[in-house]
Amino acid sequence: MESMEALITQIQGLSGSVEDISHLHNLLKLTEESLQSEAPRLASFLGQLDPAKQSLGYLYILEAYTSAPISREQPSEFIMSVSTFINSCLAEQIRLAADKFVSVCKRFKDQVVLLQEPLRGVAPMRTAVQKLRSSSEHLTALHPDFLLLCLLAKSYKTGLGILKEDIFEIDQPRDFFLYCYYGGMICIGQKHFCKARELLRNVVTAPMSTINAIAIEAYKKYCLVSLIDNGQFSTALPKYTSSVAQRSLKNFCQPYIDLANSYSSGKISELESCVETNKEKFESDNNLGLVKQVVSSLYKRNIQRLTLTYLTLSLQDIANTVQLNTPKEAEMHVLRMIQDGEIFATINQKDEMVSFHEDPEQYKTCEMIEHIDSSIQRIMSLSKKLSAVDELISYDPAYLAKAGKERQRFDFDDFDTVPQKFNL
Amino acid sequence: MASSSSSGLTFKLHPLVIVNISDHYTRVKSQAQPPHGSSNGGSSPPPQPPRVFGCVIGIQRGRTVEIFNSFELLYDPSTESLDRSFLEKKQELYKKVFPNFYILGWYSTGSDVQESDMHIHKALMDINESPVYVILNPAINHSQKDLPVTIYESELHVIDGIPQLIFVRSSYTIETVEAERISVDHVAHLKPSDGGSAATQLAAHLTGIHSAIKMLNSRIRVLHNYLLSMQRGGFLYEFVEMAGDIPMEDSLLRQVSSLLRRLPAIESGKFQDDFQMEYNDTLLITYLAMLTNCSSTMNELVDKFNTAYDRHSRRGGRTAFI
Repeated sequence: MESMEALITQIQGLSGSVEDISHLHNLLKLTEESLQSEAPRLASFLGQLDPAKQSLGYLYILEAYTSAPISREQPSEFIMSVSTFINSCLAEQIRLAADKFVSVCKRFKDQVVLLQEPLRGVAPMRTAVQKLRSSSEHLTALHPDFLLLCLLAKSYKTGLGILKEDIFEIDQPRDFFLYCYYGGMICIGQKHFCKARELLRNVVTAPMSTINAIAIEAYKKYCLVSLIDNGQFSTALPKYTSSVAQRSLKNFCQPYIDLANSYSSGKISELESCVETNKEKFESDNNLGLVKQVVSSLYKRNIQRLTLTYLTLSLQDIANTVQLNTPKEAEMHVLRMIQDGEIFATINQKDEMVSFHEDPEQYKTCEMIEHIDSSIQRIMSLSKKLSAVDELISYDPAYLAKAGKERQRFDFDDFDTVPQKFNL
Repeated sequence: MASSSSSGLTFKLHPLVIVNISDHYTRVKSQAQPPHGSSNGGSSPPPQPPRVFGCVIGIQRGRTVEIFNSFELLYDPSTESLDRSFLEKKQELYKKVFPNFYILGWYSTGSDVQESDMHIHKALMDINESPVYVILNPAINHSQKDLPVTIYESELHVIDGIPQLIFVRSSYTIETVEAERISVDHVAHLKPSDGGSAATQLAAHLTGIHSAIKMLNSRIRVLHNYLLSMQRGGFLYEFVEMAGDIPMEDSLLRQVSSLLRRLPAIESGKFQDDFQMEYNDTLLITYLAMLTNCSSTMNELVDKFNTAYDRHSRRGGRTAFI
């Protein structure tokens, strides 16, 4: 117990300046095992420390405390204490012990999920993510947990805020897979199918040495989302996909590929029969809702195809071509599509005729100027980033070694001053 | 020796005169001084830049004196006067080509008026009863914004009871003919002789436009601040004089308002539409250019990455057994 008291006083004393913090950090690393052994009794000591100023010490003790199993009566209290800690801790101090912070937050998430109150965990996790990451381009291990909580709590908008930022640095590949997968699901929930497709494609094409389950699930969803968004799906993956994925993903997702084939025929009846045959498989993958959306999107696709052929059309004809039952249903569909901006048309209710128009966008408004201007700004920053990465790879020893090796053979007769070998 | 002129004459100077004087001076200077390899170790001070002399000709209409052209004259240092016969010969030749032009005065280079100049001036007074004296200061001063050209007239002033002829400074404006504008433009932009590549020309063009817009912007800002302080001052001058504010000055306000009314009045909707469409087109082209730029960087990056990290080499024909 004396050592604990001594440790507490040391933590309180050494939480001032940067050198003190690093000194404290070294001390704490040494005392890790003793902390683990004293786990159950640590709760009282936590009260003596101020999480806002002595975050590092608090974190160590908290982590040791939480590594012990939590009893059933205490989870609510535990959740409260962890959320207050997350809200008040100092970002610089906890970044020194990032893995401890991550494990604390993971336990927090588990408890919240166990209690079936994911909403309580969303806000603290978001603060945790913002404090842990070193910049908005950094993907930490907490990102996927945060997105998972958002999904369980159905608060998709909070998740979207985090998804908007581009990622350039990744800690662990597994985080990236999970992050993109959950992110894709959140976007599907918000009906942003374009961004969902992009995220899911990232999962599928990310470098992997062996096939993993996340990629398979993502591939299934990717298939459905691209049917909804684009109206077509090709099994050919982009060239930069890993060879493992290119070979094996298709084998696990046969029902979805059948669905895509029947979709391309354009006939509702065929599509629905395909859905019926594979219903259990879709249900077991939790994708049935998405499949239903695919079916309704086929109607939309067919109506859009009509705009290419006709200038005006009666509602009855639309219903017949698209295989809807009544003109009323056709009117509903067309109205919804006009409201969503997927089609430009006017419905004449007296004659029951629909006339299709061209895109009225003239590209001469101020909003368009701002839109293009913001795109130009984005691409300027992206271009700077690309040049920075290019420079970085130019002095990478692996690249220089290979480049030097190849040049040697070319310059054999040139008596160039290229060194014969890069001894790296 | 110089105060401001009270004769009420307005002087208009053409750029041709300035270019002629400067050319004359540069030629003489480069011919007189030996080229760079002077071996005296730089201990002696640099020789005085030579003074050049010449005559200016033009037209005098009423109170306006317009100086169009100039020619060089020989200076005789012994008599400290200009060569008279040469001057008359030249004058005859110029009269044949430009019958309207008279000798209005003479020019010289230097930083200020000197004593000997009065002699030359008096000598010219029999050709023109009130000649003008144009001085070009060849010293290059980068901070100076105005032209280093001054015009002096002679006036009879009473100093210490003795009537004397002294030089008084006059103001002048620059008047340009179309041909002169082109040549001045050319000199000002210092275009490279071979036209340069398209990129440098574009850059030079854009830099020119940028500096022009910057100057316009700063001048409008000056006017704007002036008007604002006039507004504040005019409003309050009856009660309180706020520091820095100016009372109303109607003549200036009238000038500003006439300037504003001369601005092109293109405010119609059609103009806005067309203008914005064209603006958007330009923005799109810029965007496209940036996309291309980005793609090319990306391409290089991917090539380097493949060379460095890819297990299968993609260079023509080589196998994977590295």
